[in-house]
Amino acid sequence: MNALDTDVLVIGGGSTGAGVAWDSALRGLHVTLVDRQDFATGTSGRFHGLLHSGGRYAVKDPGSARECAAENRILRQIAADCLEDTGGLFVSTPEDDLDYADRFLAAARAAGMEIDEVPVGVALRDEPRLNPKIRRAFRVQDGSIDSWKMISALLRGAQAHGATVLPYHKVVRVIRQGDRVEGAVMEDQRTGEEVRVNAGCVVNAAGAWSGQVAQLAGCEVGVRPGKGVMVAINHRLARAVLNRCHLPSDGDIIVPVRTVSVIGTTDHPVADPDDTECSPEEVHQMIEAGELLVPGFKESRALRVWSGSRPLLPKTEGAAGAGDREVSRSHTVLDHGARDGVEGLVTIAGGKFTTLRLMAEDTVDVVLRKLGREAECRTRTEVLPGSESHHFYWIGNRQQEAETDPPDDPLICECELVSQHDLDTVVARRPNWRLDDIRRALRVGMGPCQGGFCAFRVAGMLHQEGRYGRAEANSALREFVQERWKGVKVISWGAQARQTRLDRWIFEGVYDLEHLPE
Amino acid sequence: MGTDAVVLGAGTAGMVAALRLAAAGASVLVLAEGEGGLPLAPAQIDVLGYRPQLVLDPLGELGGFLESRPDHPYRLVEPDEVGASLEWFLELSAPLGYVGNPHLNRLQPTALGALRPTCLVPQTMAAGDLSGGGSVLVVGLRGFRDFHAPLLAENLALANPPSGAEVRARSVEVSLLGDPRDLRPQLLARRLEERPVLAELGREIRSRLEQEELVGVPAVLGLERSHEAWQRLQDLVGRPVFEIPTPPPSQPGQRLQQHLFRALRRLGGEVRLGARATGYRGVGDRLKSVMVVTAAREVEIPADSFVLATGGIGTGGITASPDGELREEVFGARVSRGGAPDEPLVEYMATQPLDRLGIEVDDQQRPLGAGGEPLFQNLWAAGAALAGAEPWREKSGEGISLATGFRAARLAGEARA
Repeated sequence: MNALDTDVLVIGGGSTGAGVAWDSALRGLHVTLVDRQDFATGTSGRFHGLLHSGGRYAVKDPGSARECAAENRILRQIAADCLEDTGGLFVSTPEDDLDYADRFLAAARAAGMEIDEVPVGVALRDEPRLNPKIRRAFRVQDGSIDSWKMISALLRGAQAHGATVLPYHKVVRVIRQGDRVEGAVMEDQRTGEEVRVNAGCVVNAAGAWSGQVAQLAGCEVGVRPGKGVMVAINHRLARAVLNRCHLPSDGDIIVPVRTVSVIGTTDHPVADPDDTECSPEEVHQMIEAGELLVPGFKESRALRVWSGSRPLLPKTEGAAGAGDREVSRSHTVLDHGARDGVEGLVTIAGGKFTTLRLMAEDTVDVVLRKLGREAECRTRTEVLPGSESHHFYWIGNRQQEAETDPPDDPLICECELVSQHDLDTVVARRPNWRLDDIRRALRVGMGPCQGGFCAFRVAGMLHQEGRYGRAEANSALREFVQERWKGVKVISWGAQARQTRLDRWIFEGVYDLEHLPE
Repeated sequence: MGTDAVVLGAGTAGMVAALRLAAAGASVLVLAEGEGGLPLAPAQIDVLGYRPQLVLDPLGELGGFLESRPDHPYRLVEPDEVGASLEWFLELSAPLGYVGNPHLNRLQPTALGALRPTCLVPQTMAAGDLSGGGSVLVVGLRGFRDFHAPLLAENLALANPPSGAEVRARSVEVSLLGDPRDLRPQLLARRLEERPVLAELGREIRSRLEQEELVGVPAVLGLERSHEAWQRLQDLVGRPVFEIPTPPPSQPGQRLQQHLFRALRRLGGEVRLGARATGYRGVGDRLKSVMVVTAAREVEIPADSFVLATGGIGTGGITASPDGELREEVFGARVSRGGAPDEPLVEYMATQPLDRLGIEVDDQQRPLGAGGEPLFQNLWAAGAALAGAEPWREKSGEGISLATGFRAARLAGEARA
């Protein structure tokens, strides 16, 4: 069995784990990060993409609101390349209580948010598709996050400071000597080989899965996965993030992300965070809810449906800032030494994407104490790789690049403007790419055709370059088609139903994928 | 002068009905909102390929297939008439050199290298029937995104035709003269009509040939002069050359479309694209006219007979609303799921809720209204608009369109007489 020694072993390659890896590496620790799948495949790659201003928590969870407002400012400074500065609006629709708007405004100011009330006419001028019956509007510093880009930047930054990152390495055993955790054994999900990592401290950053990881070490973490359903619409229905100004509930936010608008979300407790099925009822609930913010929403082209599991933490776990709610969106660092008498293990539980940096800082502070070392946190000011110019991305980025410097190579994905050169650059970063990993890195297959045209191209090209064997290329294509089906199968109406028919024509009629050899 | 017959839809079914009506002496107008499915399709004529086991004799196995699928649109047409429609198509498409036997499926390679059953193919694909095995040199064009010769050849080499004969395949990649960025299928087709480009390709292939008996190339050998381009390449290479269909847009599909459009014009018929049917006027059990929007103006077009061939959900003939309402767009004909499940299945490769969607018709192919009675005595439906088929999984689409389009024209003609 291969073995390696490290200061900190981080389990979980979502935003939390990537943030912890970046922070630890900047403080001079040797860090190894593992994930059972590709990075950002859990909750981090399955949220609505909102960079919180804090507005959603202002009234109900002031602690979270304060954290969001502060972290929002920091992320804009250090991670511009992963963010779009869309701005946000909170609007009182005819169904929302106007008294809430006053409470909201006061709470937002108390939380340190930048907020301005704007005349309804101005809001409607800026957002022509917004419900003309809104009665109040507040401008806030919401934005949108490209989660894959952000996590990729954090990990590349960590690697540049000596970190080791291992995707597709699933923890099968936590190594425990008496009441001390000394590392873990991972199984490479692609080769079946085991790798042993001996660590001074293990950080459980598995989010909604952190209960499962803690159990491997014989500890209990009462994380409660809360499933949220989202629907992507094939248009930018608004320039800014649109929020209903009321106590947060289901389907009250529309986030413009890249080429789409995402509506979210629901909150249902689930036993298993891997339960990502979306029912037709949940999807209908979302598109009906969208009507209130953007009349005609239902008639827009729905592209895809997905869900993710929030790592909710009950108050009994001692979350700070829980206020009067039974669960908080804030985070807690659990030192299992003090809590359970099991040294060498720290769980970072709860939290949200927007506060990933703060979560990491708090976690690494505890880790350093455990390791008996000292180092200042540097993540407040250290700029992530790719964000040096401090330019936010915007929807026209790829088109602008293509027009300024026309590529010599063909586009492989017309929907998202991905060229063969882009593909070659990404696959050179590491071996063993699945088509779905490439989707996360390049957005291939995320546009209207949902892979109908590009999946075959990518599989064929990677085979031609020797990165896939024949059977691998076939199974990669099958797996990708199956994965995409998961998100479109409940969209049985409108233009996407028509597209689904065309894709089926291509896969079955033109290629006969069903009768391809294994 | 009035129009005898109006056909809605310019895909295979609509064009077959229009051509048959025109050949019988009717004045025919084809109206279509888009271009129809033809320019997207590989232009191979599928009749029946899987039931779900591989079908060798499509015409002969129709009866057995219908026993397991009594709601399938083939129930509407006697096997003899299915056969007659195929024979008629072979004759009509002689200029494109269509070949095939309605009682014997061919097994042709797909762009991924599966061996796919189909019945009739144009001459440019004729040498690609590997039912009896063969050794193939698959030629890729460098920079062409929609054809990956190495993967195709490696998959094809594992093909297992029921004859037990061996299929061997090897791939090479060649560069075309000219701008390497212009490698979209339409532009490739145009360039391959240029003699120097074709000559260089032919020389290159010939120099890389070993013992292979056949040469497979992506189906981009020209558009207007495809027969000439194919013939010339075959002469240059010195082996039988065949085209392998690529994903849309399809050059063979566009060739067939142009051929059918011209054939109709020669018979005095007209195809009007960009014409969306928005409504109709009926008196009693007779349909009098359809309302059509062209160039932002609505006009009323009267006729004696009407054929509805607007396809299903894939082409916009039928739409689904977010609330689950399924609607045939022009007449509001009754829509059926054709026995498909109500809820989606997890496995993609299964019969899904929309897979068999279509309109319901009586045994005379007349669309039914909400009450189950035919909407009109002089309106017939054909092709992918009909409920009950899974054309791409069964490999049955063109056969259904040919047979039901052919029969719709006959029924319309008989009603007029």
